[in-house]
Amino acid sequence: MQPLNLTIEEKNQLKLERLQTTLNRAYKNVPFHRNRFIERSLLPENILSLQDIEKLPFMDRSHLGIHYPYGLFSVPLRDIVRIHTASGTGTNPSISGYTKADLMIWQKMVSRSLEASGVTSMDILQINLPPGLANWGRDYKDGAENIGASVIPNSPLSLAKTLMVLRDYKTTTLVTTLAFAEQLMEYMFESERNPNEFNLKRIVLVGEPVGREQIQNLEEHLHVDVWLNYGLSEIPGPAIAFECLHHFGMHINDDHILAEIIDPITREAVLSGQSGELVLTTLSARAFPLIRFRTGDMAKFINQPCQCGSALTVMEWLKERADSMMIISGVKISPEQIKIYLNHALGVNEPKYFLEKIRHGGTEILSIALVIDDSLFSDEIKNLEMLMINTSEKLEELVGVPVKITLTEKR
Amino acid sequence: MSLSVRQGELISIIGANGSGKSTLLLAISGLLTTWEGEIIFKEQTLKGMSPPAVVRQGISMVPEGRQIFSPLTVMDNLKMGAYTMYRKGLKREVEQDFEMIMDMFPILRERANQLAGTLSGGEQQMLAIGRALMSRPRLLILDEPSMGLAPKIVEMIFDTIQNLRREGVTILLVEQNARAALKISDRGYVLETGKMVLEGSAKELLVDDDVKRAYLGKDYGNFYDGRD
Repeated sequence: MQPLNLTIEEKNQLKLERLQTTLNRAYKNVPFHRNRFIERSLLPENILSLQDIEKLPFMDRSHLGIHYPYGLFSVPLRDIVRIHTASGTGTNPSISGYTKADLMIWQKMVSRSLEASGVTSMDILQINLPPGLANWGRDYKDGAENIGASVIPNSPLSLAKTLMVLRDYKTTTLVTTLAFAEQLMEYMFESERNPNEFNLKRIVLVGEPVGREQIQNLEEHLHVDVWLNYGLSEIPGPAIAFECLHHFGMHINDDHILAEIIDPITREAVLSGQSGELVLTTLSARAFPLIRFRTGDMAKFINQPCQCGSALTVMEWLKERADSMMIISGVKISPEQIKIYLNHALGVNEPKYFLEKIRHGGTEILSIALVIDDSLFSDEIKNLEMLMINTSEKLEELVGVPVKITLTEKR
Repeated sequence: MSLSVRQGELISIIGANGSGKSTLLLAISGLLTTWEGEIIFKEQTLKGMSPPAVVRQGISMVPEGRQIFSPLTVMDNLKMGAYTMYRKGLKREVEQDFEMIMDMFPILRERANQLAGTLSGGEQQMLAIGRALMSRPRLLILDEPSMGLAPKIVEMIFDTIQNLRREGVTILLVEQNARAALKISDRGYVLETGKMVLEGSAKELLVDDDVKRAYLGKDYGNFYDGRD
């Protein structure tokens, strides 16, 4: 949409103004935020500079679960026009809500990131995301429609059918995860489909940091350009940061999202240019403000400006994590949540198991190898099998990626 | 509170009575002397400046309730606005500005020699805007320009403000008539008991339910019925 025609000073002024309005609203409307101010003898008006945000405490995913479902909303429910669910990290999922104005802003951000990768109204954009990223599918649809591109929305199709749509509908832009892009590429070659049969020009990858080699592999085999987008499932942020035509790091939409990088252990800000955990604060969100939200993602700021001339802050998204989350098909999976669920589903205290990301027929799967011991053992194999099937189905629903449970003997 | 107006922008501040809008304007214009913080205009602080000094910096205000000089003629009111121009010896420019303002508001040409106190409310508002423009401001501040005016006149005044903006005048508009103000603005701020609680594009604020409830409610049309 509108490019950001601001100097860095103007952008920082805007960020401060928006931060202050966010804090004023959070303090006024959300007891959780208000109490955290009061505990520190702070008032929103004590935040006089962007630097002052360091006076405020961090939030993490556990807070979203504790305040399930609507405890962190900053507007009356009647103002909410959309409600999203992310799997969360504990017993409760994390719920986020959006007002009309929120949806307009997020849509603008997605449009901006798609336009940065060259998407125009002449493009045909196909979305293929796993159930765990369904929210982002809707956001990409809205953002691309806003540009005027023709959108083929996310819908669960077989690989063969997806490939048929990709070819027959003359898709130019595919928004998907690395796992699916690789699966598609392998399938194309196996089924002897030449990339020249397709109109595909670019792939926008979401969900996880991707290395240069993997990107080159896709670019060479599919004759496309690959762009990375960074997002969070807690706020509709499939496009919190994006790559522009220069592929010079990821540009953070930091007129709407304030980014900090901290040492995950000391929780202090790192020196600019050093790697650390990415911490985000929403600057425009009305319904669901996040203040100093620890993402668990690792990143570092790039201090040189990008050739595109944008005033947006640039970061590099790193592969390691500051938390224990696993990323499967671009979806973040919390091992703690799996543990809570298995304890409950199996009716066993502290079952032993091993989690692993595996690939099966090109699909990324969460594999759980469950160690059989006396407490789990049943003389009816059928019962045990049923339990495994039920548990994996329910877990799939919970985390939004395929789950496979196998039984193993003591290792 | 923090806010900013970039060159060429038309910015609205909306807020109810007692939200602090007028206090803010008094501070900018130099009429209020005790405040904390910084007000920076063209990289220069306005702290400690007297009202005439602020005007010389290029900030001109159309005050709430017009505040025209009733016993003076329309022409003399405009001349008062050109005070800083005369001081600089820019007499020819002042003559050009008279013409520009008379073209903008033909009714003022008709009434040039009439006493300002005999003008209607809308005409007085035009005169107040004209007078503020006579100093060729870099920033024009309007305080409640729609107050006490009939809807048709309000519409005309807002058309004028929009035209000024198109001609490159930077404008800060403080209004209770949020809908009319936002419709012509680039961005807006919502002020509540001395605190900025929202900032956003006019489009975003116009769909915001908080803004609708507080400022676009019964008084300003049929938002609630969805019949806009």
